[in-house]
Amino acid sequence: MNALQQEITQLIIDTLNLEDVTVEDIPPDQPLFGEGLGLDSVDALELALALQKRYDIRIASDSKDARQHFTTVASLAAFVQAQRDACAN
Amino acid sequence: MNEQVVQERHWSTHKERGSFFLMRLTAFGVRVFGRRLLAPLLYLIVLYFFASARGARRNIWQYQSYLADWSGRESLRPTFGSVFGQFIAFADNLLDRLDVWRGRLGFEQVQLVDPSGIRPRLLRSQQGGRGEILVVTHLGNPDVCRAMAELGEQVPLNVLVHNRHVAQFNRLLGEAGDRSMRLIQVTELDTAMMLDLSQRVERGEWLAIAGDRVPLHDGRRVAVNFLGHAAAFPQGPWLLAGLLRCPVNLLCCLKVDGRYRIHLDPFLDNAHWERGRRDDAIQNWAQRYADHLAQQCLMAPQQWFNFYAYWQSGKSEARDAN
Repeated sequence: MNALQQEITQLIIDTLNLEDVTVEDIPPDQPLFGEGLGLDSVDALELALALQKRYDIRIASDSKDARQHFTTVASLAAFVQAQRDACAN
Repeated sequence: MNEQVVQERHWSTHKERGSFFLMRLTAFGVRVFGRRLLAPLLYLIVLYFFASARGARRNIWQYQSYLADWSGRESLRPTFGSVFGQFIAFADNLLDRLDVWRGRLGFEQVQLVDPSGIRPRLLRSQQGGRGEILVVTHLGNPDVCRAMAELGEQVPLNVLVHNRHVAQFNRLLGEAGDRSMRLIQVTELDTAMMLDLSQRVERGEWLAIAGDRVPLHDGRRVAVNFLGHAAAFPQGPWLLAGLLRCPVNLLCCLKVDGRYRIHLDPFLDNAHWERGRRDDAIQNWAQRYADHLAQQCLMAPQQWFNFYAYWQSGKSEARDAN
Protein backbone atom coordinates (compact mmCIF):
# COMPACT_ATOMS: atom_id res chain seq x y z
CA MET A 1 0.00 0.00 0.00
CA ASN A 2 1.53 3.32 -1.01
CA ALA A 3 1.30 6.54 0.96
CA LEU A 4 -1.58 8.00 -1.05
CA GLN A 5 -3.59 4.80 -0.73
CA GLN A 6 -3.00 4.83 2.99
CA GLU A 7 -4.05 8.46 3.20
CA ILE A 8 -7.24 7.80 1.26
CA THR A 9 -8.09 4.77 3.36
CA GLN A 10 -7.73 6.89 6.47
CA LEU A 11 -9.91 9.57 4.88
CA ILE A 12 -12.61 6.99 4.19
CA ILE A 13 -12.51 5.80 7.79
CA ASP A 14 -12.63 9.34 9.20
CA THR A 15 -15.24 10.68 6.83
CA LEU A 16 -17.64 7.80 7.21
CA ASN A 17 -16.85 7.41 10.86
CA LEU A 18 -16.20 3.69 10.49
CA GLU A 19 -15.88 2.39 13.99
CA ASP A 20 -13.40 -0.33 14.87
CA VAL A 21 -11.91 -0.25 11.40
CA THR A 22 -8.22 0.42 10.80
CA VAL A 23 -6.30 1.13 7.62
CA GLU A 24 -5.09 -2.46 7.60
CA ASP A 25 -8.66 -3.73 7.48
CA ILE A 26 -9.27 -2.22 4.06
CA PRO A 27 -6.96 -3.73 1.44
CA PRO A 28 -6.47 -1.45 -1.57
CA ASP A 29 -8.15 -3.97 -3.85
CA GLN A 30 -11.21 -4.65 -1.74
CA PRO A 31 -14.44 -3.42 -3.35
CA LEU A 32 -15.78 -0.44 -1.40
CA PHE A 33 -19.40 -0.95 -2.40
CA GLY A 34 -21.72 -3.90 -2.26
CA GLU A 35 -20.22 -7.01 -0.74
CA GLY A 36 -16.86 -5.44 0.02
CA LEU A 37 -16.91 -2.67 2.58
CA GLY A 38 -20.66 -2.25 2.05
CA LEU A 39 -20.79 1.43 1.24
CA ASP A 40 -23.88 2.87 -0.48
CA SER A 41 -24.66 5.81 -2.73
CA VAL A 42 -24.94 8.35 0.07
CA ASP A 43 -21.60 7.20 1.46
CA ALA A 44 -20.21 7.74 -2.03
CA LEU A 45 -21.47 11.33 -2.01
CA GLU A 46 -20.00 11.96 1.39
CA LEU A 47 -16.72 10.47 0.27
CA ALA A 48 -16.67 12.41 -3.00
CA LEU A 49 -17.22 15.60 -1.05
CA ALA A 50 -14.34 14.85 1.30
CA LEU A 51 -11.99 13.87 -1.54
CA GLN A 52 -12.82 16.97 -3.54
CA LYS A 53 -12.14 19.18 -0.57
CA ARG A 54 -8.95 17.47 0.52
CA TYR A 55 -7.29 17.17 -2.88
CA ASP A 56 -8.84 20.19 -4.54
CA ILE A 57 -10.09 18.14 -7.44
CA ARG A 58 -13.41 17.94 -9.21
CA ILE A 59 -15.29 14.71 -9.70
CA ALA A 60 -17.64 14.88 -12.65
CA SER A 61 -21.14 13.57 -12.13
CA ASP A 62 -22.95 11.17 -14.34
CA SER A 63 -19.89 9.67 -15.90
CA LYS A 64 -19.31 5.96 -15.83
CA ASP A 65 -15.66 6.76 -15.19
CA ALA A 66 -16.53 8.49 -11.95
CA ARG A 67 -18.24 5.38 -10.74
CA GLN A 68 -15.28 3.23 -11.73
CA HIS A 69 -12.89 5.45 -9.82
CA PHE A 70 -14.80 4.64 -6.68
CA THR A 71 -14.49 0.87 -7.00
CA THR A 72 -11.53 0.38 -4.66
CA VAL A 73 -9.00 2.38 -2.69
CA ALA A 74 -6.44 1.57 -5.37
CA SER A 75 -8.62 2.98 -8.15
CA LEU A 76 -9.40 6.07 -6.08
CA ALA A 77 -5.71 6.68 -5.43
CA ALA A 78 -4.93 6.30 -9.12
CA PHE A 79 -7.69 8.76 -9.95
CA VAL A 80 -6.54 11.34 -7.40
CA GLN A 81 -2.96 10.98 -8.63
CA ALA A 82 -4.05 11.48 -12.24
CA GLN A 83 -6.05 14.58 -11.30
CA ARG A 84 -3.11 16.02 -9.42
CA ASP A 85 -0.76 15.40 -12.31
CA ALA A 86 -3.23 17.02 -14.66
CA CYS A 87 -3.40 20.08 -12.43
CA ALA A 88 0.38 20.24 -12.05
CA ASN A 89 0.83 20.40 -15.80
CA MET B 1 -61.32 6.06 -2.99
CA ASN B 2 -59.09 3.32 -4.22
CA GLU B 3 -59.46 3.89 -7.91
CA GLN B 4 -57.83 7.25 -7.64
CA VAL B 5 -54.54 5.95 -6.34
CA VAL B 6 -53.29 4.68 -9.66
CA GLN B 7 -54.85 7.49 -11.61
CA GLU B 8 -53.40 10.41 -9.73
CA ARG B 9 -50.66 12.14 -11.57
CA HIS B 10 -47.70 13.51 -9.78
CA TRP B 11 -47.86 17.18 -8.78
CA SER B 12 -44.89 18.21 -10.85
CA THR B 13 -46.52 16.97 -14.04
CA HIS B 14 -49.76 18.88 -13.79
CA LYS B 15 -50.34 21.01 -10.76
CA GLU B 16 -47.28 23.16 -11.06
CA ARG B 17 -47.91 23.81 -14.72
CA GLY B 18 -51.44 24.99 -14.01
CA SER B 19 -50.41 27.23 -11.20
CA PHE B 20 -47.53 28.59 -13.27
CA PHE B 21 -49.95 29.48 -16.03
CA LEU B 22 -52.25 31.11 -13.51
CA MET B 23 -49.37 33.11 -12.08
CA ARG B 24 -48.28 34.28 -15.52
CA LEU B 25 -51.78 35.34 -16.29
CA THR B 26 -52.01 37.08 -12.97
CA ALA B 27 -48.67 38.79 -13.44
CA PHE B 28 -49.79 40.05 -16.81
CA GLY B 29 -53.18 41.09 -15.50
CA VAL B 30 -51.89 42.95 -12.48
CA ARG B 31 -49.48 44.86 -14.67
CA VAL B 32 -52.18 45.85 -17.09
CA PHE B 33 -55.21 46.31 -14.86
CA GLY B 34 -53.90 46.65 -11.33
CA ARG B 35 -54.91 44.51 -8.40
CA ARG B 36 -58.31 46.05 -7.77
CA LEU B 37 -59.53 45.39 -11.27
CA LEU B 38 -57.90 42.03 -11.52
CA ALA B 39 -59.18 40.56 -8.26
CA PRO B 40 -62.72 39.86 -9.50
CA LEU B 41 -61.36 38.25 -12.64
CA LEU B 42 -59.04 36.04 -10.65
CA TYR B 43 -61.89 34.99 -8.38
CA LEU B 44 -63.81 33.98 -11.49
CA ILE B 45 -60.88 31.90 -12.71
CA VAL B 46 -60.56 30.21 -9.33
CA LEU B 47 -64.31 29.64 -9.30
CA TYR B 48 -63.96 27.91 -12.63
CA PHE B 49 -61.05 25.87 -11.25
CA PHE B 50 -63.21 24.95 -8.26
CA ALA B 51 -66.16 23.92 -10.42
CA SER B 52 -64.18 21.95 -12.97
CA ALA B 53 -61.43 20.27 -10.96
CA ARG B 54 -63.23 17.51 -9.15
CA GLY B 55 -59.95 15.89 -8.11
CA ALA B 56 -58.68 19.09 -6.52
CA ARG B 57 -61.93 19.51 -4.58
CA ARG B 58 -61.71 15.95 -3.34
CA ASN B 59 -58.07 16.40 -2.31
CA ILE B 60 -58.83 19.53 -0.32
CA TRP B 61 -61.79 17.76 1.28
CA GLN B 62 -59.45 14.94 2.26
CA TYR B 63 -56.91 17.36 3.72
CA GLN B 64 -59.57 19.14 5.76
CA SER B 65 -61.06 15.96 7.15
CA TYR B 66 -57.62 14.58 8.07
CA LEU B 67 -56.85 17.86 9.81
CA ALA B 68 -60.15 17.73 11.70
CA ASP B 69 -59.63 14.09 12.72
CA TRP B 70 -56.04 14.61 13.73
CA SER B 71 -56.67 17.76 15.76
CA GLY B 72 -60.02 16.64 17.16
CA ARG B 73 -61.46 20.04 16.26
CA GLU B 74 -64.93 19.61 14.88
CA SER B 75 -64.94 23.18 13.59
CA LEU B 76 -62.36 22.17 11.01
CA ARG B 77 -64.55 19.46 9.49
CA PRO B 78 -64.93 20.09 5.75
CA THR B 79 -68.08 21.58 4.27
CA PHE B 80 -68.81 22.79 0.78
CA GLY B 81 -68.11 26.30 2.02
CA SER B 82 -64.83 25.51 3.74
CA VAL B 83 -63.47 23.72 0.66
CA PHE B 84 -64.52 26.66 -1.49
CA GLY B 85 -62.88 28.97 1.04
CA GLN B 86 -59.59 27.22 0.52
CA PHE B 87 -59.78 27.88 -3.23
CA ILE B 88 -60.52 31.55 -2.56
CA ALA B 89 -57.57 31.67 -0.18
CA PHE B 90 -55.48 30.44 -3.10
CA ALA B 91 -56.67 33.34 -5.26
CA ASP B 92 -55.74 35.78 -2.49
CA ASN B 93 -52.41 34.07 -2.17
CA LEU B 94 -51.67 34.58 -5.87
CA LEU B 95 -52.61 38.26 -5.68
CA ASP B 96 -50.39 38.67 -2.64
CA ARG B 97 -47.49 37.04 -4.42
CA LEU B 98 -47.77 39.57 -7.18
CA ASP B 99 -47.72 42.37 -4.64
CA VAL B 100 -44.64 40.82 -3.12
CA TRP B 101 -42.87 40.59 -6.44
CA ARG B 102 -43.67 44.18 -7.25
CA GLY B 103 -42.31 45.29 -3.90
CA ARG B 104 -45.70 46.39 -2.62
CA LEU B 105 -45.39 44.53 0.63
CA GLY B 106 -43.19 46.33 3.10
CA PHE B 107 -41.28 44.84 5.96
CA GLU B 108 -43.40 46.79 8.43
CA GLN B 109 -46.48 44.98 7.16
CA VAL B 110 -45.01 41.61 8.06
CA GLN B 111 -44.57 40.23 11.51
CA LEU B 112 -41.45 38.23 12.19
CA VAL B 113 -41.56 35.46 14.80
CA ASP B 114 -37.92 34.62 15.28
CA PRO B 115 -37.29 33.89 18.96
CA SER B 116 -33.84 32.40 18.44
CA GLY B 117 -32.44 35.10 16.17
CA ILE B 118 -32.14 33.20 12.89
CA ARG B 119 -32.59 36.24 10.64
CA PRO B 120 -29.73 38.18 12.30
CA ARG B 121 -27.56 35.09 11.77
CA LEU B 122 -28.48 35.02 8.10
CA LEU B 123 -27.59 38.69 7.72
CA ARG B 124 -24.33 38.22 9.61
CA SER B 125 -23.20 35.27 7.53
CA GLN B 126 -22.31 37.63 4.69
CA GLN B 127 -19.33 38.74 6.71
CA GLY B 128 -18.03 35.23 7.10
CA GLY B 129 -19.14 32.15 8.88
CA ARG B 130 -20.82 29.07 7.53
CA GLY B 131 -24.15 28.92 5.81
CA GLU B 132 -27.16 27.04 7.08
CA ILE B 133 -30.20 25.32 5.64
CA LEU B 134 -33.73 26.68 5.64
CA VAL B 135 -36.44 24.08 5.13
CA VAL B 136 -39.41 25.78 3.54
CA THR B 137 -43.02 24.69 3.26
CA HIS B 138 -45.65 25.29 0.60
CA LEU B 139 -48.13 25.97 3.37
CA GLY B 140 -48.91 29.68 3.35
CA ASN B 141 -46.90 32.01 1.15
CA PRO B 142 -43.17 31.30 0.90
CA ASP B 143 -42.75 34.16 -1.58
CA VAL B 144 -43.25 36.68 1.18
CA CYS B 145 -40.10 35.44 2.85
CA ARG B 146 -38.19 36.02 -0.33
CA ALA B 147 -39.30 39.61 -0.45
CA MET B 148 -38.23 40.03 3.16
CA ALA B 149 -34.86 38.49 2.41
CA GLU B 150 -34.22 41.16 -0.18
CA LEU B 151 -35.30 44.14 1.82
CA GLY B 152 -32.46 46.25 3.03
CA GLU B 153 -29.47 44.03 2.76
CA GLN B 154 -28.98 41.48 0.05
CA VAL B 155 -29.03 38.09 1.63
CA PRO B 156 -26.87 35.27 0.27
CA LEU B 157 -29.65 32.78 -0.27
CA ASN B 158 -29.92 29.97 -2.81
CA VAL B 159 -33.28 28.39 -3.43
CA LEU B 160 -33.11 24.77 -4.51
CA VAL B 161 -35.97 23.65 -6.72
CA HIS B 162 -36.70 20.37 -8.43
CA ASN B 163 -38.97 21.32 -11.24
CA ARG B 164 -37.99 21.91 -14.80
CA HIS B 165 -39.63 25.31 -15.02
CA VAL B 166 -36.67 27.08 -13.45
CA ALA B 167 -35.88 29.05 -16.58
CA GLN B 168 -39.50 30.18 -16.86
CA PHE B 169 -39.66 31.14 -13.21
CA ASN B 170 -36.39 33.02 -13.43
CA ARG B 171 -37.73 34.95 -16.38
CA LEU B 172 -40.98 35.70 -14.60
CA LEU B 173 -39.12 36.80 -11.48
CA GLY B 174 -36.88 38.97 -13.63
CA GLU B 175 -39.90 40.59 -15.23
CA ALA B 176 -41.28 41.23 -11.80
CA GLY B 177 -38.06 42.87 -10.69
CA ASP B 178 -36.74 40.05 -8.55
CA ARG B 179 -33.08 39.66 -9.42
CA SER B 180 -31.21 38.77 -6.32
CA MET B 181 -32.49 35.26 -5.71
CA ARG B 182 -30.58 32.39 -7.08
CA LEU B 183 -32.71 29.44 -8.09
CA ILE B 184 -30.72 26.26 -8.46
CA GLN B 185 -32.28 23.28 -10.14
CA VAL B 186 -31.50 20.08 -8.32
CA THR B 187 -32.86 16.99 -9.96
CA GLU B 188 -30.55 14.70 -8.10
CA LEU B 189 -27.86 15.06 -5.51
CA ASP B 190 -24.69 14.21 -7.38
CA THR B 191 -21.02 14.80 -6.71
CA ALA B 192 -20.68 18.04 -8.69
CA MET B 193 -23.84 19.50 -7.16
CA MET B 194 -22.73 18.50 -3.66
CA LEU B 195 -19.36 20.19 -4.15
CA ASP B 196 -21.02 23.34 -5.43
CA LEU B 197 -23.47 23.48 -2.52
CA SER B 198 -20.74 22.69 -0.03
CA GLN B 199 -18.61 25.56 -1.33
CA ARG B 200 -21.58 27.90 -1.08
CA VAL B 201 -22.15 26.92 2.54
CA GLU B 202 -18.46 27.42 3.32
CA ARG B 203 -18.72 30.91 1.80
CA GLY B 204 -21.54 31.71 4.19
CA GLU B 205 -24.41 31.29 1.74
CA TRP B 206 -27.63 29.71 2.93
CA LEU B 207 -29.68 27.08 1.14
CA ALA B 208 -33.47 27.00 1.08
CA ILE B 209 -35.17 23.76 0.15
CA ALA B 210 -38.76 22.55 0.32
CA GLY B 211 -39.44 19.93 2.93
CA ASP B 212 -42.95 18.95 1.94
CA ARG B 213 -42.87 17.95 -1.72
CA VAL B 214 -41.39 14.83 -3.20
CA PRO B 215 -39.62 15.24 -6.54
CA LEU B 216 -40.88 13.13 -9.42
CA HIS B 217 -37.87 11.06 -10.37
CA ASP B 218 -36.12 10.88 -7.08
CA GLY B 219 -36.59 7.68 -5.17
CA ARG B 220 -35.25 9.29 -2.02
CA ARG B 221 -38.43 9.65 -0.07
CA VAL B 222 -39.54 8.61 3.35
CA ALA B 223 -43.00 7.68 4.62
CA VAL B 224 -44.06 9.70 7.64
CA ASN B 225 -47.28 10.12 9.52
CA PHE B 226 -48.75 13.45 8.53
CA LEU B 227 -52.13 14.43 10.00
CA GLY B 228 -52.67 10.83 11.04
CA HIS B 229 -51.97 9.22 7.67
CA ALA B 230 -48.89 8.04 5.85
CA ALA B 231 -47.50 10.51 3.34
CA ALA B 232 -44.28 10.55 1.35
CA PHE B 233 -41.88 13.31 2.35
CA PRO B 234 -38.58 14.04 0.64
CA GLN B 235 -35.30 12.86 2.11
CA GLY B 236 -33.44 15.57 0.22
CA PRO B 237 -33.28 18.33 2.86
CA TRP B 238 -32.12 15.93 5.53
CA LEU B 239 -29.56 14.18 3.34
CA LEU B 240 -28.21 17.56 2.35
CA ALA B 241 -28.00 18.69 5.95
CA GLY B 242 -26.24 15.50 7.01
CA LEU B 243 -23.78 15.59 4.14
CA LEU B 244 -22.97 19.26 4.62
CA ARG B 245 -23.12 18.90 8.41
CA CYS B 246 -24.84 22.18 8.91
CA PRO B 247 -27.66 23.51 11.08
CA VAL B 248 -31.24 23.33 9.85
CA ASN B 249 -33.96 25.92 10.45
CA LEU B 250 -37.60 25.91 9.45
CA LEU B 251 -39.25 28.73 7.58
CA CYS B 252 -42.97 29.23 7.16
CA CYS B 253 -45.02 32.27 6.25
CA LEU B 254 -48.72 32.32 7.10
CA LYS B 255 -51.41 34.92 6.74
CA VAL B 256 -53.14 35.26 10.06
CA ASP B 257 -55.96 37.78 10.49
CA GLY B 258 -55.09 39.41 7.20
CA ARG B 259 -51.46 39.92 8.08
CA TYR B 260 -48.39 37.94 7.08
CA ARG B 261 -46.37 36.36 9.78
CA ILE B 262 -43.00 34.70 9.18
CA HIS B 263 -42.05 31.91 11.52
CA LEU B 264 -38.38 31.02 11.85
CA ASP B 265 -37.67 28.03 14.05
CA PRO B 266 -34.41 26.27 14.80
CA PHE B 267 -34.64 22.57 14.03
CA LEU B 268 -31.22 20.88 14.13
CA ASP B 269 -28.09 22.42 15.62
CA ASN B 270 -25.88 20.16 13.65
CA ALA B 271 -27.25 17.48 11.37
CA HIS B 272 -25.18 14.44 12.03
CA TRP B 273 -25.95 10.77 11.77
CA GLU B 274 -24.31 7.78 13.29
CA ARG B 275 -23.09 5.51 10.58
CA GLY B 276 -25.44 2.57 10.09
CA ARG B 277 -28.29 4.59 11.58
CA ARG B 278 -28.61 7.09 8.79
CA ASP B 279 -32.04 5.89 7.68
CA ASP B 280 -33.31 6.09 11.24
CA ALA B 281 -31.98 9.62 11.61
CA ILE B 282 -33.61 10.77 8.38
CA GLN B 283 -36.89 9.10 9.27
CA ASN B 284 -36.79 10.74 12.65
CA TRP B 285 -36.07 14.24 11.29
CA ALA B 286 -38.70 13.95 8.55
CA GLN B 287 -41.29 12.81 11.08
CA ARG B 288 -40.46 15.66 13.44
CA TYR B 289 -40.77 18.02 10.53
CA ALA B 290 -44.16 16.59 9.58
CA ASP B 291 -45.34 17.06 13.16
CA HIS B 292 -44.16 20.65 13.12
CA LEU B 293 -45.92 21.25 9.81
CA ALA B 294 -49.14 19.76 11.16
CA GLN B 295 -49.07 22.27 14.01
CA GLN B 296 -48.59 25.08 11.53
CA CYS B 297 -51.56 23.84 9.49
CA LEU B 298 -53.65 24.53 12.57
CA MET B 299 -52.52 28.15 12.59
CA ALA B 300 -53.71 28.65 9.01
CA PRO B 301 -55.93 25.70 8.09
CA GLN B 302 -57.00 27.07 4.71
CA GLN B 303 -53.54 27.89 3.41
CA TRP B 304 -52.62 24.39 2.37
CA PHE B 305 -52.18 24.88 -1.37
CA ASN B 306 -51.34 21.37 -2.39
CA PHE B 307 -54.29 20.58 -4.64
CA TYR B 308 -52.91 17.25 -5.78
CA ALA B 309 -53.40 13.98 -3.91
CA TYR B 310 -50.96 14.52 -1.11
CA TRP B 311 -51.44 11.18 0.56
CA GLN B 312 -51.33 9.29 -2.72
CA SER B 313 -48.63 6.83 -1.86
CA GLY B 314 -49.13 3.87 0.42
CA LYS B 315 -52.83 3.80 1.25
CA SER B 316 -52.35 0.57 3.17
CA GLU B 317 -49.56 2.00 5.29
CA ALA B 318 -51.88 4.84 6.12
CA ARG B 319 -54.05 2.50 8.10
CA ASP B 320 -51.09 1.01 9.90
CA ALA B 321 -49.82 4.44 10.79
CA ASN B 322 -53.02 5.12 12.60
